[in-house]
Amino acid sequence: MDLNRLPNDKKLQLCIWYFKVGCLFLPFVWAVNAVWFFKEAFVKPPYDEQKQIKKYVIMSGTGAFVWTAILGIWVAIFQLQRVSWGATGDALSFIVPLGRA
Amino acid sequence: MKYYLLLSIFGVFANCERLHEQIYSSIKGGAACFRRLNGTHQAGCSSSDKGAVGVVQMISDITDAQWIAFNSSAGPYMAIVNTDIFKDVIEVLMGHPENVAGVVIFNNVTDSTFSFTQESRCPNEYSSGFENQCSSSSSFVWNDQGTGLLRRNIPFPIFYLPDSKMDQIEKIQECYLKFNLDKTNQKGRPLCSVQLNSFMFAAVNSEVCLRRSATSALLSPTKVCDPLGDNNVYYSLFPRPKEKETANKSIILVTARIDSASLFDGLSPGTASSVVGTVTFLTAAATLAKMIPVTEANLYDNNVLWTLFNGEAFDYIGSQRVAYDLKKGSWPYAPLKPSNIRLHVEIGQIGGAMTVHKNDNLWPLNVYAPNYSVYNTEVSEFVSMMLNNTMAVNYIVSDNLPPSSLHSFRKILKNVTSSGDLPELLIVDHDEIFTNLFYNSALDQSDKIGYFYHNISIGSDGTFLTTAELLLNGTMEEFEPQVKISRVATAFAKTLYQKVTGKAYYGNITASAHLVDEILYCLLMSQACRLLYAVDFAQSEGGEEKMPTRAPPLYVGVAPVENTAPTFAGHLLALLTGQQLNLNKTGCDAPPQPGYSKYWLRGWNHTGVCIQTTMNFSQALSPAFVITDYDMKSGDYSTWTESVWQTMWARVFVSAGGGGATVAVISGCIVTVVAALLTYWLKRHAAIAFAKAPAAVVVNEDAASGILRTVNC
Repeated sequence: MDLNRLPNDKKLQLCIWYFKVGCLFLPFVWAVNAVWFFKEAFVKPPYDEQKQIKKYVIMSGTGAFVWTAILGIWVAIFQLQRVSWGATGDALSFIVPLGRA
Repeated sequence: MKYYLLLSIFGVFANCERLHEQIYSSIKGGAACFRRLNGTHQAGCSSSDKGAVGVVQMISDITDAQWIAFNSSAGPYMAIVNTDIFKDVIEVLMGHPENVAGVVIFNNVTDSTFSFTQESRCPNEYSSGFENQCSSSSSFVWNDQGTGLLRRNIPFPIFYLPDSKMDQIEKIQECYLKFNLDKTNQKGRPLCSVQLNSFMFAAVNSEVCLRRSATSALLSPTKVCDPLGDNNVYYSLFPRPKEKETANKSIILVTARIDSASLFDGLSPGTASSVVGTVTFLTAAATLAKMIPVTEANLYDNNVLWTLFNGEAFDYIGSQRVAYDLKKGSWPYAPLKPSNIRLHVEIGQIGGAMTVHKNDNLWPLNVYAPNYSVYNTEVSEFVSMMLNNTMAVNYIVSDNLPPSSLHSFRKILKNVTSSGDLPELLIVDHDEIFTNLFYNSALDQSDKIGYFYHNISIGSDGTFLTTAELLLNGTMEEFEPQVKISRVATAFAKTLYQKVTGKAYYGNITASAHLVDEILYCLLMSQACRLLYAVDFAQSEGGEEKMPTRAPPLYVGVAPVENTAPTFAGHLLALLTGQQLNLNKTGCDAPPQPGYSKYWLRGWNHTGVCIQTTMNFSQALSPAFVITDYDMKSGDYSTWTESVWQTMWARVFVSAGGGGATVAVISGCIVTVVAALLTYWLKRHAAIAFAKAPAAVVVNEDAASGILRTVNC
């Protein structure tokens, strides 16, 4: 969809909609929202809805970043500690590796 | 000419091999070392899931192994070793496994080894009774030549090629001589390599692998290991009905072991380790049943309970289960109290001395009994009875008993065994060190006891020629194992007769060397044998020739699979000692008399017989897998499991030196860069390169946006 062809109020609506969908534990939607509306929020010459859009872009971006950081840390901890957790580690695994600890 | 060309092209295609076959040549007939796990460790071998690849190095002496470990340049290496130097070589390679991809062992008959045993120096050390003095770290050990590999984690795969597969070794050697001889200059050159694949699913220990096998995760319902186990076989001289008081007659428990083991899949011949003992046991049981007919059951206050234990190589699985069940009062069918056992006699490892005395008539045996025997009349009485019945044994009193099922009883039924309330004795062929130098190994084969099959037909009513007849007509000689076993079995049966009846035996029933010959053939040479055919369930299809022509596996194997050997031994006991009933198949299916079970077997004349017998099977699965929430690390019971694997294969090929690959990468990079530069230059100077090149590409904005508009939402 070409944002350039949308009227400004529709842009805001779309940005809020993407933010709301991202609230359903879908950080990737937030990331998309942040990237997609980045130009609208920070580059384009000012217009009425821009301030609002900016707010949602920042919130989506921060949310996506926090999610990435938390997931990254969890993945690192899980990969490093799975073996020492024993039964819990196996229970948390979707695919248990064959032939090693 | 044209047709000739066509034909020749066709010929080329018809003879063409797949590229894969031109590169690789598979090594057939090898047996791989696999992984077993216990409560705390993993033992045995595994390759990576794609297989281990290594440069071939034929090992002719220990310096070749040291060269791989310390000086080689094109590693990792695949060591090709003969059995005679394997023991020293494997220690070097396991000490420095970084440069080792794997090991292929072969057995060249001309350089055959004097010893080959992968069992520990103190077999089943950690399941022994409390008085055990054997410790792998000390110098006093039973299995002096043991490498202990059966219980160690080996960081690379090992394949074994028996002497019948020497052609495969010659294939590897030919390739080795062609490519790998120049040891100083191997890096970056095409080299003869071997790839071994024996990837094992299980890891860490039994607790982890059983947990993972039980996990019903959404995507990984894979079973990674199974507990070891099979069946024990027991048979009582007189029936022991559950309902009657006669079940409480005092019992003389006679036991032996039926299983063996080795590091390699499918190769556990166990001749001297267990088979000689098993056969002596079976023959003696059959002889005693003839000496005392079951109709005389009411005359005597004693009974003999014969039991064959399975899985003894792996921390005494079978005997641990029996001792555990005895303690709980749930073994056998009519449960027995330990206090009812008057004497426990174990026929232990007795085949080793036959190796030493292959060419003479001797077979020296020792009887071990614990220290309390000095005061205990049961034991000393039995030993003197043995001597009176021409069973020449040397009597040794020591609490340090050789590896045998007695250890299970001494550990689990400590109360009654250490006090001597359950007197025990053990018949073996060695004193401080095993005479069998191939204990629990792939080389413990029939040649070790000098066995040759005589192939004498059996009478249609199941009569065997007597030992005396065979010696008289010159079919057999005194020094042959068949004759020796029959002599010992006769003496042992006579001793038991005296113990049961209270009087010496003067009849003329003896154990037959002919029977021994047949049982040995079934257990050591081929399952396509007369006895196995006769004791098979009569309804099973196919003739004798349909049975596999290799020996039945004696490795206990995983619990869900029933092995041939215990079934064979059980049915054979039934056929040799049971009563033949005049019933047809349907009549045989009717419920038996109390204390008996009935089997419809094929019989000696192959028409089917209904046998009424006291023989029965009991589960030989370690109590560790029976007790709920058992602590696998406690060391109380055997916790052995076997890993699951998918494939095992080996192949030889010539690996590329790596030069070709480097050239390909470099030239690829160069071509890419040149093409990019050329494209860029052409674009910039299109006017020079093309005579009528358009000055510029005109894009019709309107048209483009028109298209976009229709596509857009």
